[in-house]
Formats: sequence, C-alpha cells, structure tokens
Amino acid sequence: MSGAAILPVGLAGRHGASGRLLAGGALVLLALAPGLVRLLLGGADPLDQDLLALNLPPGAGHPLGTDHLGRDLLARLTVGTWLTLGTGIGGVLLAALAGGVVALLALTLGGAARATAYAAFDLLRVLPGVLLALLTAVALGNGVGPVTLALGLSFAPLFAEVVRATHEREMAADYVAAAQVFGLGRLAVLWRHVLPNLAGPAVTLCAIVLPRCIVTESVLSFLGLGVSPDQPSWGRMIADASGFAEDAPHVVLAPMLALSLLTLGLSLLGEAARRRFDPLRREQRP
Amino acid sequence: MRAFLPLGISLLRALALVATITFIVFLLIRAVPGDVVDVLAAQGDLTPAQQAALRVDLGLDGTVAEQFLRWLRQAVAGDLGQSVRFGRPVIGMVEQAIPSTIVFAAAAFSFGLCLALVLALGALMAPRSPLPALVEAINLWSIAVPTFVAGMAAILVFSIWLGWLPVIGNMVAPVVILGLDIAGQLAKPLLEELREARLAPHVRAARARGIHPVLVAARYVLPKTVPVLLALSSISLASLIGGTMTMEALFGLPGLGSLVLNAVSGRDYPVLQAVVMVLALGVVLINAVADLARRLTDPRMRA
Repeated sequence: MSGAAILPVGLAGRHGASGRLLAGGALVLLALAPGLVRLLLGGADPLDQDLLALNLPPGAGHPLGTDHLGRDLLARLTVGTWLTLGTGIGGVLLAALAGGVVALLALTLGGAARATAYAAFDLLRVLPGVLLALLTAVALGNGVGPVTLALGLSFAPLFAEVVRATHEREMAADYVAAAQVFGLGRLAVLWRHVLPNLAGPAVTLCAIVLPRCIVTESVLSFLGLGVSPDQPSWGRMIADASGFAEDAPHVVLAPMLALSLLTLGLSLLGEAARRRFDPLRREQRP
Repeated sequence: MRAFLPLGISLLRALALVATITFIVFLLIRAVPGDVVDVLAAQGDLTPAQQAALRVDLGLDGTVAEQFLRWLRQAVAGDLGQSVRFGRPVIGMVEQAIPSTIVFAAAAFSFGLCLALVLALGALMAPRSPLPALVEAINLWSIAVPTFVAGMAAILVFSIWLGWLPVIGNMVAPVVILGLDIAGQLAKPLLEELREARLAPHVRAARARGIHPVLVAARYVLPKTVPVLLALSSISLASLIGGTMTMEALFGLPGLGSLVLNAVSGRDYPVLQAVVMVLALGVVLINAVADLARRLTDPRMRA
C-alpha cells in the first residue's frame, strides 16, 4: 500500500493515517464551527419568514443573507448542522443496533432464527436505500424518525456481516472450544469472547458508515423523502434553494459547501480508522 | 448441466424476493391512514355511496389479502391499474419510463466501469505515477460528495455562470457525474484485487518468462478479478439506482425515478406500487444474473 497523497491540504502526504486524522478532524471542525457558535451564543429563528427580504445577499442583519421565503440563512445552516449530524448519528446507531444486536441474537440462537435473520439482511442488502426510504416516507411520512429508520435498515446488513465474521472466527478459535469443553455456556462465550472482539470492528464500522449515512440522509431529503419541510437539514435546504440558484446562488451554495466539508472530513476520519482497524477486509495478506 | 440447478434456485429465490417486496409495499401503502378516496372526498363533496363506488372502481374494497390477490392476478395479466392522478393505465406510464432509465443507468454504469478499469490498471502498471493517488481521491470523492451536490454544482457552473445551456434535460452531465461516483466505488477495491492477483504464482511465472507486462495484465491478471468485479458491480447496483433517481429528479430527465417521486408526492399509489415492483424486479434479476456469471467465471464456485 503506498501512502498516497489525496488531499490538497498536504497534511495527508506521507503521514498516512495520522495525516488523514488531522485533515479530517480539521474539516469536520470547520463544518461544525457555525453550529457550535450557535449552541454557545444562540441565533435567529430558522423558520421566521420576512417576505419583504427574499433571497437577500449576505449583509448586515442577515450575515449570510436570506432564502426564498426570507428566512435567515445562517440560522437555518446552523440549526441544520445538528439536524444533519444528528440524523446521521441516529442512523448509524440504529444500524448498529438493528444489525449488530439482531445478528448476535440470531447467531446465538442458531437454526431457523439465524436463517431468517440473515435472509432479512440479504433482502435489505439488495434493496436500494432510496427504495427503502420511499417505503418509510409513504408509510410514516416525512421527518427525522422515518429517515433514521430508513438509514438504520439500509446500513444494518454491514453490521450483521461484521458480527457474523467475528462470531465465526471466535467460535472456531481453540480457546473458545477449550472454554466450552470446560462447560462455558453460549451466553458466557458470547459475553467473554465474542463481544470484546466485536467492540473494535463495530466502532470502526460506525466511523466508516457515518459519512455514508449523512450523504444518504441528504440525498433522501433532497428528493423529498427525508426530513419534513420545516426541518432545515442541509439536503433539504439544497432542495429548497435549487429552484432559485440563478438569482441567489449563495443560498444553495452555503449548504452544499457545509455538507461537502462535513462528509469529506468524516470520510477521512473513517478511512483513517479503517486503515488502523479494518473490520471488513479479509485477513491481511503476506 | 450442473450450473443449471443453482440457476434455478437463484431464480426461484429472486422471484420469492420480488413477491415479498411487492407484498410489503402493498401492506405499507394500505397501512397509511387515509386513502386516495379520502383525499378526493376532502377536496370535493362525494356522497358515501360515491366513495364506496370509487373504492370498488380502484380496487380498494375488501381485505388487504383480497386486494393483493386481485392486484396480483391483474398484474400477471399485464394490468397494473390506473393512475389515480392522470387516469392513464399505469402499465403504459411504466413502459414509457423504463427505456430512458435503462439507457441512462447503463450509460452511467459503463462509463464508470470503464473509468475504474482504466484507472486501476493504470495505477497497477505505473505505481509511481499520480494514478494510485487518483484512485484514492476518486474513492474519497464517491463517499463524500453526494451525486446531487455534484450535479447542483455542475448546473451552477456550466448552466448558470458559464451559460453553456442547456444542462437541464441533457444527459451528458448526469451520466458523467453518476459514472464518476460508480468509478470511485469500483476503482479502489479493483486495484487492491489486481495487486493481489499479480502476486499469484502463475502470474509471477509469466512475468519471469519475460511476457510483456500488458499481455500479462490482459491474459493473467484481469481474468482473475472478474468474479470480484461482478460482486462489486452488484453491490454498486443499489447506489446506481439511487443515483439514477436523483439525477432524473435534478436534471429533469424522464424515467422511473421521476415517475415514482411524483407518485409519492401525489399519493398516486398504483403508480408507486408498480414502479417499486419493477425496480425490485430489476435489482433482483440483475443480482441473480451477476451471481450466475460469478458461478460460471469463478472456478472455486463451479464445483
């Protein structure tokens, strides 16, 4: 593996993982900074409409200008920060829960439970995320909850796969066989040998999946299958502003930039984690 | 002959999957409080008798199981019902949308696959060139930059600022953007696979015999990666479908994506039901074919 420079930042150069860590962390901080400032200092209401001040350019009163309904762009962007990040994190946690816990349960029970669970994971794997979101949006409407559900379901198979790989490896290990000979029960094996070995890969997978979750949420919200209209997640903001790109390009550019910074930074962090721990790759080759 | 048993099994499994998905969609749609008739009744005044007649007309009477069986019988006969919004037969709308979606998705995928192959082979043959870094970069790009953000940027730059009209309704920009996304997903794992394949004893023997590196790559290295490439392709199929829908919506292209998104916002459930079934059928069939192709090309799975 050559340590390839992939960023114009130069940090990523030969330093490999640590360069990625630094660059990724910096990008994420940059993307989250406005949101952090808002948390500390407060800000305008993101839903307050001023119909006499539509699509304003940046200026006094509205630091980033206003959107097509006269809503303060900075307020929407900063509220959107936490909506975007929060939905992504929620999706990852749900995926870990739905994939990891269900898979563990199914593997421990074995037999029909295992077959059924993994058939369900196979089904989820072939279903495109957009199709899933289509279904949740139809059944449950728009909002953070349905989107999180769609995200969780579409990323759950990845976690199930990691759990299966770890479980298989541990169950084949001699020390587990020895422990079983000495009468260690299924649950005890799970608790003492499988879970501790699962923690690292699972956390790494979370880091890898988070940017994908955020990207997927933004796509869904962009398509109108995601958060509801009054929730300014960045994907939703891009969708809302896309019709006015000609007159007010800054309104669509601001969330585009923020989203790209965040997902780029998180992807670098995820890649750094993957290089360090790698839950999905096969055994290292000579 | 042996190859046909797994083929039969995977086809059966595929059909069962489609049936399951279709039934789930059917259930979900009917689980939504308020059907089309309620929406129409809220808009104008329909007497209860008219509402009941309309429900019979639209196949919304009886239990869900009855409705599903009736729908399935009609679907098999080629009747997918009528669009609630446009009053047109759904089958016609779907038939109209399928070709453009297939053309678009196939164009984007072939472009992405070719680009990934070129990049990965180039990076393999020239490890000191910028190509390996490019493979990394395009991989990061496909993870971090959603296709609709790239598409929006393309519209801003090319259509609005440079004035190279018309980006809307034009297929070039969306094909390139989605193709880049696919290439980013395929190139890196492909390169890793190629690097591993090059270490195989028969490849090293071929190189030792002095066969030209290009011939070695074409004859010994590349064929070894075909099964992996097939597996990767069927994984990126999901994102291809999502990407196609997104690009259709963003660039105003006709197709299944536009059709289904309009159906969701307009609560046009017969259309929604039909498109989801078609998409599921497409995904499952392509996966089954990729699976079969893998069985045929991978000697380990042929046994």
